[in-house]
Amino acid sequence: MRYFLKRFGFMALTVFAVCALTFFLMNAIPGGTAELILKHTFVGLEESATEEQLNQISSRYNLDDPLYIQFFRWVKAAVTGEGIGTSYVFRKPVLYLLALRLPATIQLAGASMAIAVLAGVSLGIYSALRENRISDHILRVATLFGVSMPCFWVALLLILVFSLKLKLVPVAGYGSLENLFLPAAALSLHSMAAVMRVTRTSMLETLGQEYIRFAKAKGLPLRKIISRHALKNAMLPVVTVIGFQMGNLLGGTIVIEKIFAWPGIGSLLVDSISARDLPVVQGCVLAIVSMFLLVNFLVDMLYTHLDPRIRYG
Amino acid sequence: MNLLEIRELSVEFPAGEGSVKAVSRVSFDIREGETFGIIGESGSGKSVVGLALLRLLPANARVSGNICFAGKELFFLKPSELRKIRGKRISLMPQNPAGALNPALKNGLQIGEVFERRGIEKKEGMKKALGLMKKLFLQDPEKLCGLYPNQLSGGMRQRLIAAMSLSFEPELLIADEPTKGLDPEARAGAVELFTKIKNEYGKTMLLITHDLDLAHEVCDRIAVMYAGEIVELDEASKILHSPGHPYTKGLIRAHPRNGLVPLSGQSPSRIKLPEGCFFHERCRHAAVECSRRHPEIQNHKGGRIRCHLQFLQ
Ligand SMILES: Nc1ncnc2c1ncn2[C@@H]1O[C@H](COP(=O)(O)OP(=O)(O)OP(=O)(O)O)[C@@H](O)[C@H]1O
Ligand code: SF4
Ligand SMILES: [Mg+2]
Repeated sequence: MRYFLKRFGFMALTVFAVCALTFFLMNAIPGGTAELILKHTFVGLEESATEEQLNQISSRYNLDDPLYIQFFRWVKAAVTGEGIGTSYVFRKPVLYLLALRLPATIQLAGASMAIAVLAGVSLGIYSALRENRISDHILRVATLFGVSMPCFWVALLLILVFSLKLKLVPVAGYGSLENLFLPAAALSLHSMAAVMRVTRTSMLETLGQEYIRFAKAKGLPLRKIISRHALKNAMLPVVTVIGFQMGNLLGGTIVIEKIFAWPGIGSLLVDSISARDLPVVQGCVLAIVSMFLLVNFLVDMLYTHLDPRIRYG
Repeated sequence: MNLLEIRELSVEFPAGEGSVKAVSRVSFDIREGETFGIIGESGSGKSVVGLALLRLLPANARVSGNICFAGKELFFLKPSELRKIRGKRISLMPQNPAGALNPALKNGLQIGEVFERRGIEKKEGMKKALGLMKKLFLQDPEKLCGLYPNQLSGGMRQRLIAAMSLSFEPELLIADEPTKGLDPEARAGAVELFTKIKNEYGKTMLLITHDLDLAHEVCDRIAVMYAGEIVELDEASKILHSPGHPYTKGLIRAHPRNGLVPLSGQSPSRIKLPEGCFFHERCRHAAVECSRRHPEIQNHKGGRIRCHLQFLQ
């Protein structure tokens, strides 16, 4: 129980720190916020905003207060459940915008993670069982490419081959399974390679353990030995890497969503950064960090479940 | 009747340019019902012989020679036939009970799986296992089954492994260093355990050990190994009371009860074995001949011995 209190305390602290960092960094970008809001509100006003209009906007959004007060007000509203601000651009509550975009991001990240884990783990096991044979070598070279190619580059290659050349799937868009295929593939490749790599290493290490030899001495068939004795132990480091990769993947959604015009939190974040829509940026960061922490928490719980020697209490 | 016949068994492990000669041309027989001991200092190749009997050596091991068990050539068996022998007709109690049990699985599962796919109902198998555990001085076996291996003491783990190994009343039980690393009390327990196994089951046993007292207590015949070779083989009482080979003499003298006179020097490199007798650098009786010609093992006073001295005199 004490472990959980500590853990949640730590998570809250992380969220707070990240939000504060985002807030002050965004405000450090030159150019007045009020001016930007004005430009969004009245098209064509770009160069000729009057002093009076600026002051009006500033006082409406309390932009004249010192930054720490503004931040404090935001935190207070968030904690009391009042909301996390209103978009300057859309004139809608940020929470509403996030709720609108969240399903798309969860869909993309979830699909990518599923691909990464399923393919990574099974290929890793296969590679370990064929250690130093041709297929193992091929897979290992492939993972090297996988971990070293940035995901936007993979995305562009995939578009080039599957959409433009082969015309199998649409270039971008959202809604059907066809649309999900390319972004999920591009986003998952890196994680898949990473998962495969640790699965292979960890599987090989586990297969060298004495209890595997003893299981053989008991007369168990190889399949049973792998599924029962090796897999569970070999999965421990894999689970840790999956946790790390989840962060990687959420970061990747930002670029991938933008490339594929995927209407998720990531593209919302990019758009609102360029529009200097601070409350939305803040909200997106909050959402991404929370998802990341939640996933890591779940991964740790899974870890305890796999390894009876670890007990949180 | 010989239950097991080993002829010219050699095992090498590739190491860089050369190879580690772990076992060199070992031949011996084990008669039905006898307890055969292998003694020798650490690294002499005892465990490798034991593992070779069940074909449990790592994949990179280069094995040659013949092993004939109950009229069957073990090295020619198909994997499915081999599985029928492992754990059922030949059992292995590995050197390190802590490492032989899978830390992620409950004891009950690990003992129960011995009966899997062996034409025995799970329930019946479990009952048999529980009975066996009781017989081997394990109290409260039901409770033990619900625990994980790391919750047991060293002595308990060993009994658990003994119970697994005896499940099918194997024709041959190989026990590798059953008293290594045990505290005096647990050691006494282990000696008791093996006396019991020997008397009650009357099974043929191959006992690999450092422990001269244990060997004295339970072995009928003993082979002494040095640098991968058998240097002497005889009745247990003769080996322990009137050894013929200079190495065996040294080994006996090094025993605490006989004055704890350690053998000086180190055993030779196994990648580049010395010319002549492998023991000549440490031997008090070494003659010129000893560093030139490698002695062959020969019959001598009812036993077998590998030394020029016996015949030069
Ligand atoms: N998998 C392996 N790879 C390379 N060398 C090995 C391997 N297994 C054993 N050896 C070598 O083979 C030799 C014999 O080892 P073995 O384990 O049989 O010794 P042992 O007599 O059982 O010693 P101990 O009393 O310490 O158990 C040693 O020199 C060891 O280094
Ligand atoms: S052969 Fe020579 S060196 Fe070797 S044990 Fe006999 S006497 Fe010693
Ligand atoms: Mg050993």
